[in-house]
Amino acid sequence: MEKLKVVSWSMFVISMVGILYALIFNLPDWIVYAVSIVFIPIAILSFGLIQMARGRKEEEEDKRKEPFIGY
Amino acid sequence: MNLLMANILLNVVLAFLVGSILFGLERKIMARIQMRPGPPIIQYLLHTLKFFIKESAFPKTAAMPFYIAITAMLSFIWVAAVIVGPVMGGSLLLIFAIYALHKIVEHNAGSSSGSPYGKLSCVRAVFSAAAELPLFAVLIIIYLKTGTMNIGSIISYQSIHGPLIYSLPLAAAMFFVLILSKAHYSPFAITKGKDIISGYETEHFGLLRGYLMISESIAWYMLLWVFLTVFIGALSPVGYLIGMVALTAVMAFISATTPLLNPNHSIMMQTTFAFVGIVGSILMIM
Repeated sequence: MEKLKVVSWSMFVISMVGILYALIFNLPDWIVYAVSIVFIPIAILSFGLIQMARGRKEEEEDKRKEPFIGY
Repeated sequence: MNLLMANILLNVVLAFLVGSILFGLERKIMARIQMRPGPPIIQYLLHTLKFFIKESAFPKTAAMPFYIAITAMLSFIWVAAVIVGPVMGGSLLLIFAIYALHKIVEHNAGSSSGSPYGKLSCVRAVFSAAAELPLFAVLIIIYLKTGTMNIGSIISYQSIHGPLIYSLPLAAAMFFVLILSKAHYSPFAITKGKDIISGYETEHFGLLRGYLMISESIAWYMLLWVFLTVFIGALSPVGYLIGMVALTAVMAFISATTPLLNPNHSIMMQTTFAFVGIVGSILMIM
């Protein structure tokens, strides 16, 4: 869990810095395109991973123990 | 300040908002046709945002990290489509390559989840690739007519010769069927048919579903944008909005009054449309 948080925060900070850098400074067009294609989706995903609610630890265990009923 | 980056950000946000509202409008129109009050028009947008704060968990059967990465892939390709389309007025070939990648994402999202519903959807995504025939046919017909695949040049061609929808009505009809296959609840939406729950999205819930929904909103906006730009020409923002609302309303009407087709029938019907469209268009060009 902690690993996910660290990775998410790192991705979020890097992507936001990249987007702001491309927004403030005049870069060659191809770099702006690359920054947009890579960092806009990553910023949204990492924001979601940081923001998402997680179940409580004990509940998570119960959920895992739930018998396999499907398929 | 870099205006290009600002332009891209503005277009991506606009595509997401307009696409979401249009999906909400589609559900509203469908509901009214079926004599139901239906959800508010902003429901799709609210759902998208709601999923970001819902409790999320990743299934034990999911193939990590591919299960998460594939959702990002859908976002990458449709942000790229916004850049190629409204921002650059680039090549139509790239837009169609992005559309083909969308099919691969459907396939891989289904297979990475470990769910049998997802896997069935994944198989249907491969199966429905046969229905991509109209896509390539439209591309070739437009090239034969205009001599270019550049969106900017196609717009210039139309400003001189008039909208392509008059000279290539069958190609426009084929593209329309293609967009229809991406509409929710459409007769051709076999990868997301309710008979397989939510298809390839079944096991992508919580924030990943919200993330997929953002990309799908952008995809819907882009497909309508390409249709209007390629077959009618450059419009004003209000013109685009009216065109998109009209197209969505027609799709909602079709979706509300037709059942989901069996995958075999769906593919057969789309290939039949393609055959009629290709032969008819070539005869019209000659």
